[in-house]
Amino acid sequence: MYCVKCGVRLQDGVSKCPLCQTPVWNPDGIKEQESYPEDFPSHYSQSDLPGAVILTGLCAVVTTVILVLCLKLYGRLSWGGYGIGGILLFYVIAVLPKWFRHVRGEIFIPVSHAAAALYALYICLHSGGSWYLSFALPVIGISCLLSTGLFCLLKYIRHGRIFIFGGFLILLAGFTVLIEYFLHISFGVPMFRWSLFTLSGLSAAGLFLLLVGIIPPLREAIDRRFFF
Amino acid sequence: MSKNWYRLDTAALIFPAIRRKNWCNVFRVSAELAEPIDPQVLDQAVQALRRRFPSFYVTLQKGAFWYYLEESSRPVSIRADYAYPLTYMDRDELKRNCMRILYHGNRLAVECFHSVTDGHGGMLFLCNLIAEYLENLYSILIPEGGLVLDRSVPAESGELEDSFLRYSAPVASARSTDRSYRLHGTAEPNGFRHLTTGILDSGNLVETAHRFGGSVTSFLSAVMIQCIMELQASRIPLSRQRPVRVTVPVDLRRLFPSRTLRNFSLVLNVGEDPRFGPYSIEDLTGIISHQLKAQATRQNMSGIIASNVLPQKVPLLRIAPVFLKDLVLDAVYRKSGECGGCLNISNLGNISLPEAMLPYVRRLDFIIGPQRSYPNNCSVVSFCGKTYINMIRNIRESELERRFFSRLVELGVPVEIESNSGRRK
Repeated sequence: MYCVKCGVRLQDGVSKCPLCQTPVWNPDGIKEQESYPEDFPSHYSQSDLPGAVILTGLCAVVTTVILVLCLKLYGRLSWGGYGIGGILLFYVIAVLPKWFRHVRGEIFIPVSHAAAALYALYICLHSGGSWYLSFALPVIGISCLLSTGLFCLLKYIRHGRIFIFGGFLILLAGFTVLIEYFLHISFGVPMFRWSLFTLSGLSAAGLFLLLVGIIPPLREAIDRRFFF
Repeated sequence: MSKNWYRLDTAALIFPAIRRKNWCNVFRVSAELAEPIDPQVLDQAVQALRRRFPSFYVTLQKGAFWYYLEESSRPVSIRADYAYPLTYMDRDELKRNCMRILYHGNRLAVECFHSVTDGHGGMLFLCNLIAEYLENLYSILIPEGGLVLDRSVPAESGELEDSFLRYSAPVASARSTDRSYRLHGTAEPNGFRHLTTGILDSGNLVETAHRFGGSVTSFLSAVMIQCIMELQASRIPLSRQRPVRVTVPVDLRRLFPSRTLRNFSLVLNVGEDPRFGPYSIEDLTGIISHQLKAQATRQNMSGIIASNVLPQKVPLLRIAPVFLKDLVLDAVYRKSGECGGCLNISNLGNISLPEAMLPYVRRLDFIIGPQRSYPNNCSVVSFCGKTYINMIRNIRESELERRFFSRLVELGVPVEIESNSGRRK
């Protein structure tokens, strides 16, 4: 029995060609025993369940100890709120993805930033500060946009990584200036004490990567010189 | 009693470092026998070979500075086969045993972590396992011959050595590889591996390869390269195309006298750039044949061996903790490991067995898993007048296999196809 499209000989009894999926209309002969059984391995799942269970247990124990200590000592949460919030933040960032077989960065990166924003809000409210809207929220929001954007570009665009990293470094350079600006308006820290250094360093590195991407001979020369 | 342990050989050092959560470098050798496999007799045969092949009954352990293999006292896992070959070998399994034995119907398969041995060593172990199994099952005597060794004596020291160290040149050859075109497709979400086996008449294949002016390996590489060039042309405009190269492992035992059963092979990248113009099969077979002949020399291989051996002797690298070495080796692998080729074409050649075994062994197969960053791979072995080309992939699209096997048919080499794709959930 032959596939009319590929011209290859097929095993007796198959209903379609495994190469081109062309149906075999007159399957002659008895179907041979399948060359492979039906069993799938039990560990093809990619989730890290034992790790997730152990870390969840550990987080629960530490949270309970902090809670009991604070309530016994002070009769209220006191500093325990910061500790428990930190543990929750750690849980969302490091433990939660372990429960899933396929970790989708485009979901977990914003979720982690949202958790960080909530933790910052708690600290701000608990300490009576007024820096949340002017500092924490914009910094965390921009960081979320930048990191999610970088992740998605790397994941979905196959080529031009050098341009992606170059562009990212330049945006990161601008971000450091914004951080200093937000520090300035929130806490009165003088402007341009350190961000000019990061701005110039990161921008130079980003522009260099863009140049390397634009000029193939330069890229090849660097490849040749720094090959290891 | 303390257990024996082995340093990883030079080629094996990279494999623990580049493992991933859902990928590690494992290969399979299998045989189809005349009758269904008896698991109990198989178990006896596996136990009986422990003294003769101690380097196969090992676990992967992590030291402070290097990984190492430690002889395992646990029985090797013998179980029914899965729906697809080369299922993931996780860290826990490697800590129990670096090898597993599987059976299904008449087929007996050995899957082995690449740090233990290479394809030649794996096939040699399989042939000896079959010999031991047949002796136990049918109470016959199988003499040594072909890949079957004298199993009554313990392993020789030469069989356990790292032969790379013996044949390293004093100076390393510079290796720089252009990035090759990268095959891609829709990944199978549950780790399923599609295996498509093409069965060819060896005589016809050799004759056709000679007609086109090359060996079987260079002819099959030429056909594969032409198919990948067409595939690339259907996806990417000419100006943005990349060179198309395949990676051909070279068994160094053919160049250097060595009896080692551990890794002793190196890879060469061969191919051409499609932007220079179209290539016929004759052109490509000739070019690849020349490239292989020019590169697979004792001198060149010694230089390449040195480029792998010499860094191991740098004191600063030797005392670096294993996790740092992992990072460095992983970076080296990303930079130069797989980028030079589109896929491997690993040809074990013609396998010969003692006459007494031939009535009981119908077929031999050799399967290498998909690499970490490219989805297709191809392995070839010949036995008793038939050549078995196993093409494996972890993506849904079968376009490359279709083009490759159809092209062989067009060139006058009839192909019979088998596949496990019906088992995909």
